[in-house]
Amino acid sequence: MTMTLSAIDPHLSVFPAEAPLAFERNGQTITLRVPKGVEASVVETFASQGDAAYATELKLEIHLEEGARLTHYKWVDEGPRADHYSFLEVHVARRAAFHSHVFLFEGARIRNTIQVRLDGEEAECSLNGLYLGSGEQVIESHTLIEHRHPHGTSREFYKGILDQKSQGLFDGLIMVQKEAQKTDSTQTNRNLLLSSQARAKSNPELKILANDVKCKHGSTIGQIDATHLFYLCSRGIPQAEAKRLLIYAFASEMINPVTLVPLREALEQRLLEKFGK
Amino acid sequence: MLDIKNLQANVGDKPILRGIDLHVKKGEVHAIMGPNGSGKSTLANVLSGREGYTVVNGSVTFDGKDLLTMTPEQRAGEGVFLAFQYPVEIPGVTNNYFMKTALNAVRKYRGEKPLDAMDFLKLIKQRASIVKMDPAMLSRSVNEGFSGGEKKRNEILQMAVLEPKLGILDETDSGLDIDALQIVAAGVNTLRSPDRALIVVTHYQRLLNYIQPDFVHVLSAGRIVKSGGKELALELEKKGYVWLEERAGVAPAA
Repeated sequence: MTMTLSAIDPHLSVFPAEAPLAFERNGQTITLRVPKGVEASVVETFASQGDAAYATELKLEIHLEEGARLTHYKWVDEGPRADHYSFLEVHVARRAAFHSHVFLFEGARIRNTIQVRLDGEEAECSLNGLYLGSGEQVIESHTLIEHRHPHGTSREFYKGILDQKSQGLFDGLIMVQKEAQKTDSTQTNRNLLLSSQARAKSNPELKILANDVKCKHGSTIGQIDATHLFYLCSRGIPQAEAKRLLIYAFASEMINPVTLVPLREALEQRLLEKFGK
Repeated sequence: MLDIKNLQANVGDKPILRGIDLHVKKGEVHAIMGPNGSGKSTLANVLSGREGYTVVNGSVTFDGKDLLTMTPEQRAGEGVFLAFQYPVEIPGVTNNYFMKTALNAVRKYRGEKPLDAMDFLKLIKQRASIVKMDPAMLSRSVNEGFSGGEKKRNEILQMAVLEPKLGILDETDSGLDIDALQIVAAGVNTLRSPDRALIVVTHYQRLLNYIQPDFVHVLSAGRIVKSGGKELALELEKKGYVWLEERAGVAPAA
Protein backbone atom coordinates (compact mmCIF):
# COMPACT_ATOMS: atom_id res chain seq x y z
CA MET A 1 0.00 0.00 0.00
CA THR A 2 1.33 3.41 -0.94
CA MET A 3 0.52 6.42 1.24
CA THR A 4 1.16 10.14 1.22
CA LEU A 5 4.35 11.19 2.92
CA SER A 6 2.92 13.04 5.92
CA ALA A 7 0.95 9.95 6.82
CA ILE A 8 4.14 7.89 6.71
CA ASP A 9 6.35 9.89 8.98
CA PRO A 10 6.47 13.57 9.91
CA HIS A 11 10.27 13.60 10.11
CA LEU A 12 10.62 13.03 6.35
CA SER A 13 10.22 15.62 3.63
CA VAL A 14 10.66 15.45 -0.12
CA PHE A 15 11.91 18.05 -2.63
CA PRO A 16 10.35 18.77 -5.00
CA ALA A 17 7.14 17.96 -3.13
CA GLU A 18 5.47 16.53 -6.24
CA ALA A 19 8.30 14.08 -6.99
CA PRO A 20 6.68 10.70 -7.78
CA LEU A 21 8.31 8.72 -4.98
CA ALA A 22 6.60 5.68 -3.49
CA PHE A 23 6.67 5.26 0.32
CA GLU A 24 5.55 2.35 2.45
CA ARG A 25 5.69 1.91 6.18
CA ASN A 26 5.87 -1.33 8.06
CA GLY A 27 6.46 -0.87 11.80
CA GLN A 28 9.82 0.89 12.25
CA THR A 29 10.79 0.35 8.62
CA ILE A 30 10.05 2.81 5.85
CA THR A 31 10.60 1.78 2.26
CA LEU A 32 11.09 4.34 -0.48
CA ARG A 33 11.20 3.66 -4.22
CA VAL A 34 12.64 6.17 -6.66
CA PRO A 35 11.25 5.29 -10.09
CA LYS A 36 13.32 5.10 -13.24
CA GLY A 37 14.90 8.40 -14.23
CA VAL A 38 13.36 10.40 -11.34
CA GLU A 39 15.50 12.96 -9.53
CA ALA A 40 14.64 14.14 -6.00
CA SER A 41 15.90 14.96 -2.52
CA VAL A 42 14.73 13.54 0.78
CA VAL A 43 15.37 15.20 4.12
CA GLU A 44 15.17 13.24 7.36
CA THR A 45 15.15 15.50 10.40
CA PHE A 46 15.32 14.12 13.92
CA ALA A 47 14.60 17.00 16.27
CA SER A 48 14.75 16.99 20.04
CA GLN A 49 11.74 15.66 21.93
CA GLY A 50 12.85 17.36 25.12
CA ASP A 51 15.18 16.54 27.97
CA ALA A 52 13.66 13.14 28.75
CA ALA A 53 15.51 9.92 28.04
CA TYR A 54 14.02 8.36 24.92
CA ALA A 55 15.23 6.36 21.97
CA THR A 56 14.71 6.84 18.25
CA GLU A 57 14.98 3.70 16.18
CA LEU A 58 14.21 3.71 12.53
CA LYS A 59 15.12 1.91 9.34
CA LEU A 60 14.84 3.53 5.94
CA GLU A 61 15.20 1.36 2.89
CA ILE A 62 15.68 3.09 -0.45
CA HIS A 63 15.53 1.53 -3.90
CA LEU A 64 16.76 3.59 -6.82
CA GLU A 65 15.63 2.29 -10.18
CA GLU A 66 17.66 2.65 -13.34
CA GLY A 67 18.97 6.17 -13.93
CA ALA A 68 17.25 7.58 -10.82
CA ARG A 69 19.05 10.19 -8.70
CA LEU A 70 18.39 10.75 -5.05
CA THR A 71 20.07 13.04 -2.55
CA HIS A 72 19.39 12.05 1.02
CA TYR A 73 19.97 14.34 4.01
CA LYS A 74 19.90 13.14 7.57
CA TRP A 75 20.04 15.72 10.35
CA VAL A 76 20.18 14.31 13.86
CA ASP A 77 19.58 16.85 16.63
CA GLU A 78 17.98 14.77 19.39
CA GLY A 79 17.50 15.66 23.05
CA PRO A 80 20.57 15.61 25.32
CA ARG A 81 19.60 12.31 26.96
CA ALA A 82 18.24 10.60 23.87
CA ASP A 83 19.64 7.62 22.03
CA HIS A 84 19.42 7.57 18.28
CA TYR A 85 19.79 4.50 16.10
CA SER A 86 19.05 4.92 12.43
CA PHE A 87 19.69 2.41 9.72
CA LEU A 88 19.71 3.32 6.06
CA GLU A 89 19.82 0.60 3.45
CA VAL A 90 20.15 1.63 -0.18
CA HIS A 91 20.05 -0.30 -3.45
CA VAL A 92 21.31 1.55 -6.48
CA ALA A 93 20.41 0.19 -9.92
CA ARG A 94 22.29 0.64 -13.17
CA ARG A 95 23.32 4.23 -13.89
CA ALA A 96 21.48 5.47 -10.83
CA ALA A 97 23.16 7.79 -8.33
CA PHE A 98 22.68 8.05 -4.59
CA HIS A 99 24.15 10.91 -2.55
CA SER A 100 23.98 11.09 1.21
CA HIS A 101 24.77 13.96 3.58
CA VAL A 102 24.59 13.14 7.26
CA PHE A 103 24.78 15.68 10.11
CA LEU A 104 25.08 14.18 13.56
CA PHE A 105 24.81 16.93 16.18
CA GLU A 106 22.90 16.25 19.43
CA GLY A 107 21.96 13.04 21.20
CA ALA A 108 23.63 11.18 24.08
CA ARG A 109 24.38 8.22 21.89
CA ILE A 110 24.06 8.31 18.13
CA ARG A 111 24.55 5.35 15.86
CA ASN A 112 24.33 6.09 12.15
CA THR A 113 24.41 2.96 10.00
CA ILE A 114 24.40 3.14 6.21
CA GLN A 115 24.69 0.25 3.78
CA VAL A 116 24.74 0.94 0.06
CA ARG A 117 24.74 -1.75 -2.60
CA LEU A 118 25.62 -0.74 -6.12
CA ASP A 119 23.43 -3.26 -7.89
CA GLY A 120 24.03 -2.32 -11.52
CA GLU A 121 26.75 -1.17 -13.89
CA GLU A 122 27.86 2.47 -13.69
CA ALA A 123 25.97 3.01 -10.46
CA GLU A 124 27.40 5.67 -8.19
CA CYS A 125 27.11 6.87 -4.65
CA SER A 126 28.63 9.39 -2.29
CA LEU A 127 28.42 9.29 1.49
CA ASN A 128 29.25 12.48 3.34
CA GLY A 129 29.05 12.98 7.05
CA LEU A 130 29.76 15.55 9.73
CA TYR A 131 29.65 14.66 13.42
CA LEU A 132 30.03 17.18 16.23
CA GLY A 133 30.55 15.75 19.69
CA SER A 134 30.62 17.55 23.02
CA GLY A 135 29.90 16.67 26.64
CA GLU A 136 29.94 12.91 26.94
CA GLN A 137 28.31 12.17 23.60
CA VAL A 138 29.15 8.97 21.78
CA ILE A 139 28.68 9.22 18.03
CA GLU A 140 29.22 6.24 15.76
CA SER A 141 28.98 5.85 12.02
CA HIS A 142 29.07 2.40 10.46
CA THR A 143 29.03 2.45 6.70
CA LEU A 144 29.27 -0.14 3.97
CA ILE A 145 29.51 0.47 0.25
CA GLU A 146 29.40 -2.70 -1.78
CA HIS A 147 30.42 -2.60 -5.43
CA ARG A 148 28.80 -5.56 -7.18
CA HIS A 149 29.07 -4.58 -10.86
CA PRO A 150 31.65 -2.98 -13.17
CA HIS A 151 32.27 0.76 -13.63
CA GLY A 152 30.86 1.82 -10.29
CA THR A 153 31.93 5.00 -8.51
CA SER A 154 31.85 5.76 -4.81
CA ARG A 155 33.07 8.68 -2.73
CA GLU A 156 33.00 8.65 1.02
CA PHE A 157 34.01 11.63 3.17
CA TYR A 158 33.32 11.87 6.90
CA LYS A 159 34.55 14.59 9.22
CA GLY A 160 34.30 14.77 12.98
CA ILE A 161 34.86 17.52 15.55
CA LEU A 162 35.09 16.22 19.08
CA ASP A 163 35.15 18.41 22.17
CA GLN A 164 35.18 17.79 25.95
CA LYS A 165 34.77 14.07 26.73
CA SER A 166 32.95 13.08 23.56
CA GLN A 167 33.82 10.06 21.49
CA GLY A 168 33.54 9.61 17.77
CA LEU A 169 33.83 6.41 15.79
CA PHE A 170 34.05 6.09 12.05
CA ASP A 171 33.86 2.53 10.85
CA GLY A 172 33.68 2.35 7.07
CA LEU A 173 34.03 -0.61 4.75
CA ILE A 174 34.23 -0.47 0.99
CA MET A 175 33.78 -3.89 -0.51
CA VAL A 176 34.65 -4.44 -4.17
CA GLN A 177 33.35 -7.77 -5.42
CA LYS A 178 35.17 -9.82 -8.05
CA GLU A 179 32.76 -8.79 -10.83
CA ALA A 180 33.12 -5.06 -10.01
CA GLN A 181 36.01 -4.27 -12.36
CA LYS A 182 36.88 -0.61 -13.10
CA THR A 183 35.51 0.47 -9.75
CA ASP A 184 36.61 3.96 -8.75
CA SER A 185 36.40 4.55 -5.01
CA THR A 186 37.80 6.85 -2.35
CA GLN A 187 37.21 6.93 1.38
CA THR A 188 38.39 9.67 3.75
CA ASN A 189 37.83 10.34 7.43
CA ARG A 190 39.19 13.41 9.21
CA ASN A 191 38.86 14.20 12.89
CA LEU A 192 39.53 17.37 14.82
CA LEU A 193 40.00 16.95 18.56
CA LEU A 194 39.29 20.06 20.62
CA SER A 195 40.12 18.64 24.03
CA SER A 196 42.63 16.23 25.48
CA GLN A 197 39.80 14.06 26.78
CA ALA A 198 37.94 13.70 23.49
CA ARG A 199 38.48 10.50 21.57
CA ALA A 200 38.29 9.64 17.88
CA LYS A 201 38.55 6.19 16.43
CA SER A 202 38.80 5.65 12.73
CA ASN A 203 38.56 2.33 10.90
CA PRO A 204 38.60 2.95 7.18
CA GLU A 205 38.69 -0.35 5.35
CA LEU A 206 38.89 -1.51 1.74
CA LYS A 207 38.22 -5.09 0.73
CA ILE A 208 39.01 -5.59 -2.92
CA LEU A 209 38.37 -8.86 -4.77
CA ALA A 210 38.51 -7.40 -8.31
CA ASN A 211 41.90 -6.79 -9.93
CA ASP A 212 41.35 -3.71 -12.09
CA VAL A 213 40.16 -0.94 -9.78
CA LYS A 214 41.14 2.52 -8.56
CA CYS A 215 40.63 2.76 -4.80
CA LYS A 216 42.22 4.75 -2.03
CA HIS A 217 41.46 5.59 1.55
CA GLY A 218 42.91 7.57 4.41
CA SER A 219 42.15 9.00 7.80
CA THR A 220 43.54 11.66 10.09
CA ILE A 221 43.05 12.58 13.73
CA GLY A 222 44.53 15.89 14.80
CA GLN A 223 44.18 19.11 16.71
CA ILE A 224 43.81 22.68 15.55
CA ASP A 225 46.94 23.49 13.57
CA ALA A 226 49.12 25.85 15.63
CA THR A 227 50.49 27.56 12.51
CA HIS A 228 46.94 28.31 11.32
CA LEU A 229 46.05 29.68 14.73
CA PHE A 230 49.15 31.87 14.92
CA TYR A 231 48.54 33.22 11.42
CA LEU A 232 45.03 34.39 12.38
CA CYS A 233 46.12 35.78 15.76
CA SER A 234 49.05 37.63 14.21
CA ARG A 235 46.44 39.57 12.22
CA GLY A 236 44.73 40.71 15.40
CA ILE A 237 42.03 38.05 15.69
CA PRO A 238 41.66 37.00 19.37
CA GLN A 239 42.61 33.38 19.97
CA ALA A 240 39.14 32.15 20.95
CA GLU A 241 37.62 33.71 17.84
CA ALA A 242 40.42 32.35 15.66
CA LYS A 243 39.71 28.85 16.99
CA ARG A 244 36.01 29.18 16.24
CA LEU A 245 36.82 30.38 12.75
CA LEU A 246 39.05 27.36 12.09
CA ILE A 247 36.48 24.93 13.52
CA TYR A 248 33.78 26.50 11.41
CA ALA A 249 35.98 26.26 8.33
CA PHE A 250 36.66 22.58 9.01
CA ALA A 251 32.94 21.85 9.30
CA SER A 252 31.75 24.12 6.50
CA GLU A 253 33.38 21.87 3.91
CA MET A 254 30.60 19.38 4.65
CA ILE A 255 27.80 21.95 4.71
CA ASN A 256 28.71 23.92 1.57
CA PRO A 257 27.70 21.09 -0.83
CA VAL A 258 24.11 21.09 0.51
CA THR A 259 22.10 22.33 -2.47
CA LEU A 260 18.77 22.90 -0.66
CA VAL A 261 19.39 26.51 0.35
CA PRO A 262 17.06 26.76 3.38
CA LEU A 263 18.54 23.54 4.76
CA ARG A 264 22.09 24.76 4.22
CA GLU A 265 21.33 28.06 5.96
CA ALA A 266 19.71 26.26 8.89
CA LEU A 267 22.75 24.01 9.22
CA GLU A 268 25.12 26.99 9.11
CA GLN A 269 23.10 28.68 11.81
CA ARG A 270 23.16 25.54 13.93
CA LEU A 271 26.89 25.24 13.54
CA LEU A 272 27.42 28.80 14.73
CA GLU A 273 25.23 28.10 17.78
CA LYS A 274 27.03 24.90 18.57
CA PHE A 275 30.40 26.63 18.60
CA GLY A 276 29.16 29.76 20.37
CA LYS A 277 29.65 32.55 17.85
CA MET B 1 58.95 53.52 18.26
CA LEU B 2 60.71 50.15 18.61
CA ASP B 3 63.50 49.65 21.14
CA ILE B 4 65.23 46.31 21.28
CA LYS B 5 67.81 46.01 24.03
CA ASN B 6 70.19 43.08 24.48
CA LEU B 7 67.58 40.65 23.17
CA GLN B 8 68.57 37.03 23.71
CA ALA B 9 66.30 34.19 22.63
CA ASN B 10 66.48 30.41 22.41
CA VAL B 11 64.79 27.79 20.35
CA GLY B 12 64.60 24.88 22.77
CA ASP B 13 67.95 24.99 24.57
CA LYS B 14 69.76 26.47 21.64
CA PRO B 15 70.67 30.17 21.83
CA ILE B 16 69.78 31.84 18.50
CA LEU B 17 69.71 35.54 19.36
CA ARG B 18 72.72 36.46 21.48
CA GLY B 19 72.14 40.10 22.29
CA ILE B 20 70.40 42.27 19.70
CA ASP B 21 70.21 46.03 20.05
CA LEU B 22 68.07 47.86 17.53
CA HIS B 23 66.26 51.20 17.59
CA VAL B 24 63.69 52.03 14.97
CA LYS B 25 61.98 55.42 14.69
CA LYS B 26 58.75 56.04 12.82
CA GLY B 27 59.15 56.53 9.10
CA GLU B 28 62.42 54.61 8.99
CA VAL B 29 63.14 51.54 6.90
CA HIS B 30 65.68 49.13 8.37
CA ALA B 31 67.05 46.17 6.46
CA ILE B 32 68.26 43.16 8.43
CA MET B 33 70.60 41.04 6.36
CA GLY B 34 72.62 37.98 7.13
CA PRO B 35 73.40 34.43 6.10
CA ASN B 36 71.12 31.48 6.74
CA GLY B 37 71.01 30.56 10.40
CA SER B 38 72.10 34.01 11.59
CA GLY B 39 68.81 34.56 13.45
CA LYS B 40 66.98 36.90 11.04
CA SER B 41 63.72 34.96 10.99
CA THR B 42 63.95 34.26 14.72
CA LEU B 43 64.07 38.00 15.35
CA ALA B 44 60.98 38.52 13.17
CA ASN B 45 59.14 35.70 14.92
CA VAL B 46 60.05 36.84 18.43
CA LEU B 47 58.76 40.32 17.61
CA SER B 48 55.43 38.93 16.40
CA GLY B 49 55.00 36.57 19.35
CA ARG B 50 55.21 33.17 17.69
CA GLU B 51 55.34 30.19 20.05
CA GLY B 52 58.48 28.07 20.29
CA TYR B 53 60.91 30.86 21.13
CA THR B 54 62.06 31.65 24.66
CA VAL B 55 63.33 35.11 25.45
CA VAL B 56 66.05 34.60 28.05
CA ASN B 57 67.26 38.17 28.36
CA GLY B 58 66.72 41.71 27.17
CA SER B 59 63.68 43.80 26.41
CA VAL B 60 61.55 45.00 23.52
CA THR B 61 59.41 48.09 23.92
CA PHE B 62 57.01 49.37 21.29
CA ASP B 63 55.70 52.90 21.73
CA GLY B 64 56.83 52.63 25.34
CA LYS B 65 54.95 49.38 26.02
CA ASP B 66 56.51 46.03 26.80
CA LEU B 67 55.96 44.04 23.61
CA LEU B 68 57.19 40.70 24.89
CA THR B 69 54.38 40.22 27.42
CA MET B 70 51.69 40.78 24.77
CA THR B 71 49.80 38.05 22.90
CA PRO B 72 50.18 38.00 19.10
CA GLU B 73 46.71 39.55 18.69
CA GLN B 74 47.56 42.38 21.11
CA ARG B 75 50.72 43.10 19.16
CA ALA B 76 48.66 43.30 15.98
CA GLY B 77 46.26 45.65 17.75
CA GLU B 78 49.17 47.84 18.85
CA GLY B 79 50.27 48.04 15.23
CA VAL B 80 52.89 45.35 14.67
CA PHE B 81 52.53 43.36 11.45
CA LEU B 82 54.59 40.40 10.27
CA ALA B 83 54.58 39.47 6.58
CA PHE B 84 55.31 35.76 6.73
CA GLN B 85 58.14 34.06 4.92
CA TYR B 86 55.82 31.09 4.40
CA PRO B 87 52.21 32.34 4.38
CA VAL B 88 49.79 29.73 5.68
CA GLU B 89 46.99 28.20 3.61
CA ILE B 90 43.66 28.12 5.44
CA PRO B 91 41.06 26.03 3.61
CA GLY B 92 37.44 26.98 4.22
CA VAL B 93 38.09 30.61 5.25
CA THR B 94 37.74 33.12 2.44
CA ASN B 95 40.31 35.85 2.07
CA ASN B 96 37.57 38.47 2.32
CA TYR B 97 36.11 37.07 5.52
CA PHE B 98 39.56 36.66 7.05
CA MET B 99 40.60 40.23 6.34
CA LYS B 100 37.28 41.69 7.47
CA THR B 101 37.45 39.74 10.73
CA ALA B 102 41.06 40.80 11.25
CA LEU B 103 40.43 44.45 10.43
CA ASN B 104 37.41 44.68 12.71
CA ALA B 105 39.29 42.92 15.53
CA VAL B 106 42.11 45.43 15.21
CA ARG B 107 39.64 48.35 14.99
CA LYS B 108 37.92 47.10 18.12
CA TYR B 109 41.28 46.90 19.91
CA ARG B 110 41.95 50.50 18.88
CA GLY B 111 38.52 51.63 20.07
CA GLU B 112 37.18 52.23 16.56
CA LYS B 113 33.80 51.18 15.13
CA PRO B 114 33.70 48.08 12.94
CA LEU B 115 33.40 48.58 9.19
CA ASP B 116 30.19 47.31 7.64
CA ALA B 117 30.22 45.01 4.61
CA MET B 118 29.88 47.83 2.07
CA ASP B 119 32.63 50.01 3.49
CA PHE B 120 34.90 46.99 3.82
CA LEU B 121 34.29 46.00 0.20
CA LYS B 122 35.27 49.48 -0.97
CA LEU B 123 38.41 49.42 1.15
CA ILE B 124 39.55 45.95 0.13
CA LYS B 125 39.08 46.66 -3.58
CA GLN B 126 41.15 49.80 -3.33
CA ARG B 127 43.89 48.05 -1.34
CA ALA B 128 43.92 45.02 -3.65
CA SER B 129 44.81 47.35 -6.51
CA ILE B 130 48.00 48.34 -4.63
CA VAL B 131 49.36 44.83 -5.16
CA LYS B 132 47.54 44.30 -8.49
CA MET B 133 45.47 41.49 -7.05
CA ASP B 134 42.53 40.15 -9.02
CA PRO B 135 39.42 40.74 -6.83
CA ALA B 136 38.35 37.15 -7.63
CA MET B 137 41.16 35.98 -5.34
CA LEU B 138 39.43 37.67 -2.43
CA SER B 139 36.62 35.15 -2.46
CA ARG B 140 38.98 32.18 -2.50
CA SER B 141 40.21 30.42 0.63
CA VAL B 142 43.17 32.18 2.27
CA ASN B 143 46.31 31.39 0.23
CA GLU B 144 44.89 28.03 -0.87
CA GLY B 145 46.32 27.13 -4.25
CA PHE B 146 48.00 30.56 -4.55
CA SER B 147 51.36 30.72 -6.32
CA GLY B 148 54.41 31.87 -4.35
CA GLY B 149 54.05 35.38 -5.75
CA GLU B 150 50.33 35.52 -5.02
CA LYS B 151 50.92 34.50 -1.42
CA LYS B 152 53.46 37.28 -0.89
CA ARG B 153 51.14 39.80 -2.56
CA ASN B 154 48.42 38.64 -0.22
CA GLU B 155 50.70 39.36 2.74
CA ILE B 156 51.28 42.92 1.54
CA LEU B 157 47.54 43.29 0.94
CA GLN B 158 46.89 42.35 4.56
CA MET B 159 49.42 44.94 5.63
CA ALA B 160 47.66 47.52 3.46
CA VAL B 161 44.33 46.66 5.08
CA LEU B 162 45.54 46.60 8.70
CA GLU B 163 47.70 49.74 8.38
CA PRO B 164 50.26 48.84 11.04
CA LYS B 165 52.74 51.26 12.59
CA LEU B 166 55.52 48.72 12.12
CA GLY B 167 55.70 46.24 9.26
CA ILE B 168 58.18 43.39 9.48
CA LEU B 169 58.80 41.71 6.14
CA ASP B 170 60.36 38.28 6.64
CA GLU B 171 62.17 37.17 3.45
CA THR B 172 59.36 38.63 1.39
CA ASP B 173 61.58 38.27 -1.70
CA SER B 174 62.18 34.53 -1.32
CA GLY B 175 60.75 32.45 -4.12
CA LEU B 176 59.70 35.44 -6.23
CA ASP B 177 60.54 35.97 -9.88
CA ILE B 178 61.53 39.47 -10.95
CA ASP B 179 58.02 40.50 -12.03
CA ALA B 180 56.43 39.39 -8.77
CA LEU B 181 59.25 41.02 -6.83
CA GLN B 182 58.62 44.36 -8.54
CA ILE B 183 54.88 44.21 -7.82
CA VAL B 184 55.46 43.32 -4.16
CA ALA B 185 58.13 46.00 -3.75
CA ALA B 186 55.95 48.65 -5.42
CA GLY B 187 53.15 47.68 -3.03
CA VAL B 188 55.47 48.05 -0.05
CA ASN B 189 56.71 51.42 -1.30
CA THR B 190 53.12 52.65 -1.57
CA LEU B 191 52.76 51.82 2.11
CA ARG B 192 55.84 53.75 3.19
CA SER B 193 54.84 56.79 5.20
CA PRO B 194 56.31 59.16 7.77
CA ASP B 195 54.24 57.40 10.44
CA ARG B 196 55.11 53.83 9.52
CA ALA B 197 58.38 52.01 10.08
CA LEU B 198 59.48 48.91 8.21
CA ILE B 199 61.94 46.16 9.04
CA VAL B 200 62.93 44.29 5.90
CA VAL B 201 64.54 40.94 6.63
CA THR B 202 66.37 39.52 3.63
CA HIS B 203 69.23 37.31 2.63
CA TYR B 204 69.86 39.07 -0.67
CA GLN B 205 70.50 42.65 -1.60
CA ARG B 206 68.15 42.33 -4.61
CA LEU B 207 64.99 43.38 -2.76
CA LEU B 208 66.77 46.50 -1.47
CA ASN B 209 67.17 47.75 -5.04
CA TYR B 210 63.41 48.22 -4.99
CA ILE B 211 62.77 49.00 -1.33
CA GLN B 212 65.52 51.43 -0.41
CA PRO B 213 66.40 51.19 3.27
CA ASP B 214 67.60 54.02 5.49
CA PHE B 215 69.73 51.60 7.53
CA VAL B 216 71.25 48.20 6.92
CA HIS B 217 72.21 45.84 9.74
CA VAL B 218 74.13 42.62 9.30
CA LEU B 219 73.21 39.78 11.58
CA SER B 220 75.65 36.99 12.22
CA ALA B 221 75.39 34.23 14.80
CA GLY B 222 72.67 36.08 16.66
CA ARG B 223 74.33 39.50 16.87
CA ILE B 224 74.36 42.63 14.76
CA VAL B 225 77.96 42.72 13.60
CA LYS B 226 77.76 45.78 11.37
CA SER B 227 75.35 48.62 10.71
CA GLY B 228 75.43 51.23 8.00
CA GLY B 229 73.50 52.96 5.26
CA LYS B 230 72.16 51.39 2.09
CA GLU B 231 75.67 51.23 0.61
CA LEU B 232 76.44 48.44 3.11
CA ALA B 233 74.01 46.18 1.26
CA LEU B 234 75.93 46.72 -1.98
CA GLU B 235 79.20 45.96 -0.27
CA LEU B 236 77.74 42.69 1.04
CA GLU B 237 76.51 41.81 -2.42
CA LYS B 238 80.11 42.10 -3.69
CA LYS B 239 81.99 40.54 -0.79
CA GLY B 240 79.48 38.08 0.66
CA TYR B 241 79.00 37.59 4.38
CA VAL B 242 82.21 35.71 5.17
CA TRP B 243 84.50 38.77 5.55
CA LEU B 244 82.21 40.22 8.20
CA GLU B 245 81.96 36.98 10.10
CA GLU B 246 85.74 36.64 10.09
CA ARG B 247 86.12 40.18 11.35
CA ALA B 248 83.56 39.57 14.05
CA GLY B 249 85.39 36.41 15.04
CA VAL B 250 82.52 33.99 14.54
CA ALA B 251 82.54 30.74 12.67
CA PRO B 252 80.94 31.13 9.24
CA ALA B 253 77.51 29.55 8.97
CA ALA B 254 77.83 26.09 7.47
